[in-house]
Amino acid sequence: MSNELTYIRYNAALENTYVPAMRSLISQELSEPYSIYVYRYFLYQWGELCYLAMDKSRPENDQMVGVVVSKLEPHRGGPLRGYIAMLAVREEYRGKGIATRLVRMSIDAMIERDADEIALETEITNTAAIKLYERLGFLRSKQLHRYYLNGNSAYRLVLYLKEGVGSVRTTAFDPYSAIPGDPLGPVPLLQGNREFV
Amino acid sequence: MLPNNQVRVSSMRVVSQTVCSDITDKFTNAASKLSTGQLVKDEYFTLFEAVGALEIMDSKMDSGYIGPGENQAQALEDDYDVTRKLTPEEVLGIMDELLCHEMAWHMGHPLSQTLFTSLYLDKLLWPVPKTVEEARFNRANTDREKEGSPLLHVVLRAYCLALVKACDFVHDRISHEYYYEEEDFVTQLYNRTLLSQFDTAHFVKLIDQAISWIDQQEGTIDNKLRDAIKSRLSLRRGLLHALDEDEDIKTKSTEHFTTCLPHVSSLSESGSLGKRIPEAFSEKIQRKLASTVPPRPIVKISFEDALAHLKRLCQDAIDLREVLDYRGPHNFRVAIWTLLSRKPQPSVYIRALTQALLVNNTNILGSISVKEFLYSDLTELVFPSSVLLQSNTDETEMPSDPRFQIARHMDGFVKRFGQPFVDTYRCASLNRCRVRRTLCHTVVDWDQLQMEAEDLDEQLRTLSHEPPLPLPNGDTTYSYPLSSWTYHQKLCQFRSIIQLGFELSIYSPEELPGMYWYLSHICSTHLGHIDRIRTFIASTAKRNLSSLIGKKRHALEQQLAAQRSLRLLERLTTQIVAVDAFAISLHALYVLLVRHNILPTASSKQAYSSERLRYELRMKPFLPISLPELVPYEEFRREAVLEGDSDTIVLDRATRAISEARKAWEATLAHGPFLADSDGKVNKAPAIEEDWKRDIKDTMKACIGASIAIESVKKALAGRKDSPDSSSTPIGLRIEIPGIGSKARWHDWWAVPQVSPAK
Repeated sequence: MSNELTYIRYNAALENTYVPAMRSLISQELSEPYSIYVYRYFLYQWGELCYLAMDKSRPENDQMVGVVVSKLEPHRGGPLRGYIAMLAVREEYRGKGIATRLVRMSIDAMIERDADEIALETEITNTAAIKLYERLGFLRSKQLHRYYLNGNSAYRLVLYLKEGVGSVRTTAFDPYSAIPGDPLGPVPLLQGNREFV
Repeated sequence: MLPNNQVRVSSMRVVSQTVCSDITDKFTNAASKLSTGQLVKDEYFTLFEAVGALEIMDSKMDSGYIGPGENQAQALEDDYDVTRKLTPEEVLGIMDELLCHEMAWHMGHPLSQTLFTSLYLDKLLWPVPKTVEEARFNRANTDREKEGSPLLHVVLRAYCLALVKACDFVHDRISHEYYYEEEDFVTQLYNRTLLSQFDTAHFVKLIDQAISWIDQQEGTIDNKLRDAIKSRLSLRRGLLHALDEDEDIKTKSTEHFTTCLPHVSSLSESGSLGKRIPEAFSEKIQRKLASTVPPRPIVKISFEDALAHLKRLCQDAIDLREVLDYRGPHNFRVAIWTLLSRKPQPSVYIRALTQALLVNNTNILGSISVKEFLYSDLTELVFPSSVLLQSNTDETEMPSDPRFQIARHMDGFVKRFGQPFVDTYRCASLNRCRVRRTLCHTVVDWDQLQMEAEDLDEQLRTLSHEPPLPLPNGDTTYSYPLSSWTYHQKLCQFRSIIQLGFELSIYSPEELPGMYWYLSHICSTHLGHIDRIRTFIASTAKRNLSSLIGKKRHALEQQLAAQRSLRLLERLTTQIVAVDAFAISLHALYVLLVRHNILPTASSKQAYSSERLRYELRMKPFLPISLPELVPYEEFRREAVLEGDSDTIVLDRATRAISEARKAWEATLAHGPFLADSDGKVNKAPAIEEDWKRDIKDTMKACIGASIAIESVKKALAGRKDSPDSSSTPIGLRIEIPGIGSKARWHDWWAVPQVSPAK
């Protein structure tokens, strides 16, 4: 294991080299399974917010040891919100600040693009990730019950980058439009807003 | 981590009717011009579509994928024979495993990963049987004689069918109430039915036949095994009756759930007798289910966990009947919220059942109209001039009559406020994360409602000729009953949002002093508001006293109602004082811990955000609220750190507040949960009362914990004074804040630090 890690920004020209490695790293480290389209959705539109940590001392086709995948777009017509979708570091490379470095690079790129806030979710059992983000100034804004396919709950972590973000109006939307409950059931009385990324 | 789940990501795209044409050539041609990874999408291709996409020929996503070396039969079919002979131990093992799957489904896992992995159930339910008769294990063979052992086709079949019917009741109940798909429950049936078209009587009959067959097996089947099987069948019968009865909300019987409880205990004793057959369950069935979701692993929960869940379900269902003893909106609120705040929280079935009880046929508890319910609460809390509540358009037909106009205004009030008010009860039936999130939304609605109520109050005041109340400074003021009531509701929601934040472990350690300060700030605002309401009730009561001399029955009634309101306000005051004092004390304690650098912080110096930005984020739910006004950051910061107060003053504040808190919690406990009627009658709800008391007692334990922590800090500070250079000497203590669920966390809402000497 080398101390000489290099950090690179994702480059679409190298999709054939990077994406399979990225997928295998993420599918090993994260509990959620993603299809190739999820990767393409992010990489094609926001590749410049995606960073890779490479260990050049490893075999050529197995150098990727960390990855962060993000996006940046207006949130419901309101603030420009960055979203960190995936963050993974090979187990034997943890505890070296690689994840922090990757996240910082992604956040810095979002700040350069005038992001107002950054949000993400993490499993409530993933204390290492929670600590990492909290050190960077994120707060837990809410808990999300049984958020992931494995039944685990999540925290939403949010970072405001500018004053006044909290007061920026977002477009109201019908909170029930996405509830796939019984369409013939009673009209729900409660104002339950679903959260969307 | 992004959730790979369509429900979480975005709303469904509506696909309109389309005309099909073959585009293969065009598509191939266009695709050949793209490089790998290049994304061509319209603006409607959202993350939702990306997340919902499946990859063909990927073993993890493509449910029809047959791997290299696999053949069709091996990949899709199981070679387990469901008609094979079973020993009593094996029957027992299958029953218990099915129960585990049933409870896992109750807990929120999909049928595809739980019950629908059973090859036995698969055989009974697919193809969809047209009659109960048709739901058999040996469906190809119409000759019933060749069906095999009665242990299989009488006993196990009855058990399986009764189980499926029980699921049907549960599914029906939950899907007709408000719940969150995939979060609370998965309603997906994959084009199968849970035998909903067949009456319960069929299944009860099958169970009875199975029990009588088992009873006849003395000597052929070991007694212990016989008892164990019989107990499981009896449990199924009990559950069927209980769930069937739940369909009719008005029945108040707890009989059937009560009969289930001893069976649950006996199951836990005989659980070890069964022999599990893993081959009887298969992941492969998922490949045949109508689903867009790739096959996922079978969910495994332990038999102990399943029984514990079932036992709680029965007990919660029994105790839920206590809320039916209705004695006014206040008591009803205490009962509902206490029951649904139980730890662990009652399951989604119970929460759905509660909703059905709460609002049934557009009436509260099936018999109280929303207007009546709302008026009772107004009477209890603000006791507005009776003209407002007694005017009725039906009786006063002259539009020029003020009473007619009052009635019209009040009808508008009921229309506008009825539903949000009922929702303050329904909210309790959401999962705890959703309770807080929902409150964060409703509190904004209530802010708007309060402004509307204020307008109404002003109009009603002139119509009712309300006499002004002179203030000591010579000004006059009016009671504003409707907006006062509204503000009270809103302040309760404020408090709940803050306290649920503690319960859901949302605050970082460095936020604790500020959040306890904010909690006390909201409490003192609330106490001031209650005082205002009290002043008006007292003055109205005083005015009415003069008419009481004439012994008007109406005035006497009013007097009794006023007294009850005053008692309620007294209760609320005591309880809010208790919260306030405890919050003040913890705030002061945490200030000291910060000052002496022993409170850990989650954020680092390299953080991207400032304290000001974090404050803005934490106040997000309250930013749009006009009253109470948002505390400006500078003021918040000064208050949160108790700027200008010496350690001695802060310590004294902590000590005095905790002693006041302990007294106030004792007084709260002594009052009990419910407020007696004017004739002295009080709710009969022993189980709920027990929960309520336990909660208060836990809070009192937390108070004691805080006293001890304050004492330790006091001693350390006093000890340090003797040293020559006291200001730079470390305090010599370390702290730990027990997390939610740990034994030392006496109460979820009170993060009391444990203070010990530094090593």
